Amino acid sequence: MRCERCGAELTNKIIKVNGVYYCENCARDLGLDKYLNAPTELFANAFSPLDEIAGGFMKMADLDFGNTRLTCPKCGMSMREFENKGRVGCIECYNTFNEYLIKEMQRQQGESDYAGRKPGVSNDLEFEEEKQLPAEDKKEELPKAEVTAAAETSNEDKIAKLEKADLGMLTDEELAEGMKLATKTENYALAIRLRDELNGRKGE
Amino acid sequence: MAMWYEKTGKNQDVVLSTKVVITRNVRGYNFPCKMNSDECRQLLDQVDQVIDKNKLGNTWSGTRLPVPGKGDNNVITPESQLFGRRLNVLKDADRKAIYYSDDAGLSVTVNQDEHLTIRAMRAGHDPAVYNMADSLAASLERKLDIAYSERHGFLTSDIKLAGTGTVILYTVAIPAIVKSNGGLNMLRQRVNQYYWTIYPFDEQGQYASSNVYIISNISTRGVSGEEVLRRGEMLINDIIQLERGCREQFATRRKTEVSDLYGRSYGLLRYAKSVNPREALDALGWMRLYKEYDDAPEFDISWEKLNKLTQDICWEAERYSSKAKAGELNKIRANKIKTILKGDE
Repeated sequence: MRCERCGAELTNKIIKVNGVYYCENCARDLGLDKYLNAPTELFANAFSPLDEIAGGFMKMADLDFGNTRLTCPKCGMSMREFENKGRVGCIECYNTFNEYLIKEMQRQQGESDYAGRKPGVSNDLEFEEEKQLPAEDKKEELPKAEVTAAAETSNEDKIAKLEKADLGMLTDEELAEGMKLATKTENYALAIRLRDELNGRKGE
Repeated sequence: MAMWYEKTGKNQDVVLSTKVVITRNVRGYNFPCKMNSDECRQLLDQVDQVIDKNKLGNTWSGTRLPVPGKGDNNVITPESQLFGRRLNVLKDADRKAIYYSDDAGLSVTVNQDEHLTIRAMRAGHDPAVYNMADSLAASLERKLDIAYSERHGFLTSDIKLAGTGTVILYTVAIPAIVKSNGGLNMLRQRVNQYYWTIYPFDEQGQYASSNVYIISNISTRGVSGEEVLRRGEMLINDIIQLERGCREQFATRRKTEVSDLYGRSYGLLRYAKSVNPREALDALGWMRLYKEYDDAPEFDISWEKLNKLTQDICWEAERYSSKAKAGELNKIRANKIKTILKGDE
C-alpha cells in the first residue's frame, strides 16, 4: 500500500482520513497530526470499543519515558539506576544525564553555580610539597639535553591525561592548549578530537 | 598515643567532635560503584604512590574489624571512627584502603563511596580541622588528575556532594535543649536559617534515641568551603550559648529535681549490672546537664571521660548492630562504664 499523496510505501504508520491513505510525513504536512496519536480509522472502526484503550497506549508511547532508556556510554549506568541510587557511575554520566542532574541539583540546593576553589589551591600550606623548591633549583642545574627530556616526559604526561580525559569537562582554554600540544607532539588523532569538541561548542 | 577522641577539646561540654569530610575522584576511572577489580587495584597503587606516609603512616587494607566478644572492653576502635558510621563499606574490603595518622584524626579512605574520602576529626569544637582536611585534599589534587569541571566543581558519584565535595559536621550533646519545652524546634529553625541541617546521631523509628545530634552543612554549591565554615562557626557558637543557657535555667529553676536525677544517673552508671544504650545515654545526659552546677562534687567525672563514654556508646550501637545478643551487650556495657567511672574516684 502506498501514500495516496506522495506515493511513498506505507510502513508502520498508516493514516486514513476520509477514505484516503496518507503516510506520516504527508499527514503532518496536511496538519492531520491529531490522527498520528489516534488509532487509524480502520482499527477504530473495526473495534470501536477498543478505540479509547488503543489510543491510550499510543499516547503513552509519546510520553517522556525515553529517559529511563538513557544509558551512559562509558560506564553503562542507566537513567533508572541513577534515579534509584542517586549516584552516577563515571564522569561521562555528568554529560549523559546532564539535564536530569542539573534538575536534581537545583531541587536539592537551589539554583546555584559552583563557588568553591580550583583543584590544588589551598590557603593552608601544611601539606605543600616541601621538596618543591629544591626540585626547581635542581632543574636549573640540569644539562640542556636532560631539561629537554624532562619537558618531553611532562608533555607525554599531559597527552596521556588528555587522552583519558572526558573532553566535555575541559574548558575552552584547556582544549585549545591541548590541541596545540597534541599537534606539536604529532598526536593528530587527539588534536582532531580536541578540535571537534571545541568546534562543537562554538556551534552551540 | 591517645586517639583523637580521647583528647581534650574546646567547648567540650557541648561539642563532642568537629569533623570535615572531603570527597574527590580521579579522572580516568569509573566511580567506585562502577569500578571493576582491576581498576580498583590500579587506583589503589596510584594513590599509594602519592600519599604522604610521614603524616599518614598507618594503613588498613583488606581486613575486617574485630568482632566484639565477651569481655571486649575496646568498644570504640580507630577503624570504626575512620570508616564513619556506615560499616557496610567493609564489604569488598580488598578493593579499599585507608591511610591514617597516629591519632586517627586525619585519614584518606580509597574506594569507599568515592575514590578518595578525606576525613579530619578533632575532639571538641575546633575549626582548624577544616584546614587540615582542605590542605591534605589540595595536596592530593596536585598529585592526581582530579575530576573537576568549571561548571559543577569537583565531580562526585553522589550528586549531593558535587561542588566543593565538603561536609562539615559538629557532633553535639545537647540534653538541656532537648529537655526544654520547644528547645529543639527553636534550634531547628536556627539551623535552617544557615542552610544547615540537624539530625539525631541515632534514631529508633521517628524518635531520637539520645540527646546527641549531628549538625552539618547541606550546600556544596553556591558557597565556598570557607563560607560554609564561617556559617558553621556562627551556628555552633549559637548552639553552645543556647545549650549553656538552658542548663543554667534547669539548674536554677528546678535545682532539687535535677540534682536528684544527677545523683541517680551516677548511681545507675556506676553500679548497674546491666544497662541498655538508651538509658546509659540518658543518664550521661543528666550528668552533662548538671555537672557544672554540682555543689558537692562527690563524683566529679572529667569532661574527657564523659565524652568518651558518650561517644563509645553512640558508636558501639552502630558497630554491634544486631550481631550480638542485647542482654549480653548490656552487661558488657555496664561493666565497661563501671570500670571507666571507677578510675575517676
